[in-house]
Amino acid sequence: MNGEYILEVRNLKKYFPADRGLFGRVRHFVHAVDEVSFEIKHGESLGLVGESGCGKTTTGKVIVKLEEPTSGELFLSGENVGKYVGPRKRDYHRKVQMIFQDPYESLNPRMTIFDIIAEPLNIHGIGNLKEREERVADLLQEVGLTPPSSFMWRYPHELSGGQRQRVAIARALVLNPTFVVADEPTSMLDVSIRTGIMDLMMELRQAHDMSYLYITHDLAVARYMCERIAVMYLGKIVEISETEELLSNPLHPYTRALLTAVPVPDPEFSRGEPEIMGSVTKPIDPPPRCRFYDRCPIRTKDCETSDHPPLVEILPGHFVACYEVEKRKQG
Amino acid sequence: MPLLSVNDLVMYYKTKMGYVRAVDGISFTLDRGESLGIVGESGCGKTSISMTLLRLLPENGEFQRGHVYFDDGSGPVDLIGLPEHEMRKYRWKGISMVFQAAMNSLNPVYTVGDQIMEAILNHYPDTSFDEARAKVAELFKLVGLDPKRMDQYPHQYSGGMKQRAVIALALSCDPKIIIADEPTTALDVIVQDRILKEMKRIQRKLNMGMIYISHDIAVIAEVSDKIAVMYAGKFVELADSVTIFKRPRHPYTFGLMSSFPSITGEKKKLFTIPGEPPNLLNPPPGCRFAPRCPNATKKCSEEEPNFIEIEPGHFLACWNPIKQEGERA
Ligand SMILES: Nc1ncnc2c1ncn2[C@@H]1O[C@H](COP(=O)(O)OP(=O)(O)OP(=O)(O)O)[C@@H](O)[C@H]1O
Ligand SMILES: Nc1ncnc2c1ncn2[C@@H]1O[C@H](COP(=O)(O)OP(=O)(O)OP(=O)(O)O)[C@@H](O)[C@H]1O
Ligand code: SF4
Ligand code: SF4
Ligand SMILES: [Mg+2]
Ligand SMILES: [Mg+2]
Repeated sequence: MNGEYILEVRNLKKYFPADRGLFGRVRHFVHAVDEVSFEIKHGESLGLVGESGCGKTTTGKVIVKLEEPTSGELFLSGENVGKYVGPRKRDYHRKVQMIFQDPYESLNPRMTIFDIIAEPLNIHGIGNLKEREERVADLLQEVGLTPPSSFMWRYPHELSGGQRQRVAIARALVLNPTFVVADEPTSMLDVSIRTGIMDLMMELRQAHDMSYLYITHDLAVARYMCERIAVMYLGKIVEISETEELLSNPLHPYTRALLTAVPVPDPEFSRGEPEIMGSVTKPIDPPPRCRFYDRCPIRTKDCETSDHPPLVEILPGHFVACYEVEKRKQG
Repeated sequence: MPLLSVNDLVMYYKTKMGYVRAVDGISFTLDRGESLGIVGESGCGKTSISMTLLRLLPENGEFQRGHVYFDDGSGPVDLIGLPEHEMRKYRWKGISMVFQAAMNSLNPVYTVGDQIMEAILNHYPDTSFDEARAKVAELFKLVGLDPKRMDQYPHQYSGGMKQRAVIALALSCDPKIIIADEPTTALDVIVQDRILKEMKRIQRKLNMGMIYISHDIAVIAEVSDKIAVMYAGKFVELADSVTIFKRPRHPYTFGLMSSFPSITGEKKKLFTIPGEPPNLLNPPPGCRFAPRCPNATKKCSEEEPNFIEIEPGHFLACWNPIKQEGERA
């Protein structure tokens, strides 16, 4: 084990062309991920939450090397993985897996469930056919697709949404990876099955010293799964802290709005009005100032003329990117 | 007549291993302006109900029996008996759907804006090109998408943006009923809240019926007038939402409602329903919940309970319901 961190992300940027002008020259860019840095300890789960379209999936895809970053660096167990080629790259793809957000998009429609889950074993030449079948059957059992024999030989279109989601989870876990980017892995599962899957993921974490980047819109799920939570807004991390601290003492105005809007399972209750202004967010060529400025209920003149605020440690281990929060702490 | 009455709907998938009994005797009604929430375990048949209603079944989906009466004021029509070209008139304009598979309902080779325009121009041929484009821009704003991104392709959208595009598509032809299947799984709570409020507003304005399928119990509580709880191809309880949340009678409903993770209060161990999800290829005899039910008796695994109205508007299929407060054992 090298050092404290399994994964370090340094100043990661990913810009997408938003349109092409005359002669195919790109004039505008979507700033999907903009100077993002964080690190994840061995055996830790970091939750990543934030507005739809703020860059969570893109961050995950860069980590698993499905997207090339525009700039920035990535370290796995202290090693810069940017220039990995050949066998080292292969090894990286074995250790680092992603559970994709949309199980309708990510499962190959022409492969059986068995082939989908066993494919990574195949690629890395692990086990013979019988061993692979056993491994796949065990995993199906564990994710609640029972009896495994009634699912193994079906195709993705013969499964429900939540069943596909569990196939995607099984596939990502089949190689006992050391690091998993889990992108909304349980969004289509009922409470009971979801809890089972979350417990399974926690058990595997302990057994194999795994770590997760856990992307979710469900803060209760993040609370259950993650030691720390990072909150993202328009390509930037605006707050990051230990989970209970973040939920009980949210400091960034976006995080506060997000927590107010969490729905409550009670038909006689209506959720709070989040303190947030404006509506449509535009990640295309954003001005250099604070990305939350247009919607911020506590913005000041200073915020308008300054650059996007840096992440500052306001309380031990609790980082926030906001001038006002910083001022209030000092004042 | 209600806007929609579904009677004893049965649809099985044919597979090499036998029939998957996904929709097995479903009945309910939906009035104008009413919303019905459907909840139930993953794989219990929720999506299959909507696909059967809309007659969008895959090749191996075999309709067995039942009726789906749709009545927009001009008298009930049984959608099941209609020839395909007639049925097409009812899809989108009569009943529209937000598919669980957001990506599958968008065509990757056309821009998102063009796809919604096409739906509008198909169903309202008198609309001009500019009017249609303006309507798309309006729909984009309504679901919180930047109209500037109309001319982008689906793969350039994030998960939640695709979901919002599909909601815009489903609203584009002013339907009488909208079926929304897990429409907000990829949305943060602020955007979700906004969209649900917009959908409610449109629902009231058009007096639209809504069927809302979700695993998010909190969202179901928020949007539904009444809730149907489904287990292994069947409805096991149906009642107004307060009853389902506060006084459930079916042991499965009780399990479903009694524990969900929360962001406040003590962090507790989460509840799971013991046992394995039922095998729809070979469902257990009698009550399908019997192998996992704390109230099960011998009778439960021998005889199937009927789905009966135990009080006005409250339907239940159970031999040994949960006792209500004040009731004698
Ligand atoms: N291939 C692409 N081409 C152009 N733009 C893209 C591409 N992929 C993502 N984007 C844009 O980058 C931004 C971030 O997208 P991303 O998928 O990372 O968001 P997200 O945080 O995962 O959102 P959601 O919660 O809705 O899934 C969005 O504005 C999206 O439209
Ligand atoms: N084409 C098919 N052939 C065979 N079985 C199928 C087919 N489509 C779905 N099934 C099975 O039918 C059952 C019901 O599926 P359905 O998609 O309706 O579930 P659901 O309640 O919507 O679940 P989820 O909440 O996970 O989306 C599932 O057990 C699924 O495996
Ligand atoms: S820096 Fe200013 S605009 Fe940005 S969140 Fe803080 S107060 Fe609001
Ligand atoms: S009928 Fe019996 S097994 Fe089924 S839910 Fe009721 S008590 Fe439980
Ligand atoms: Mg995403
Ligand atoms: Mg479904």
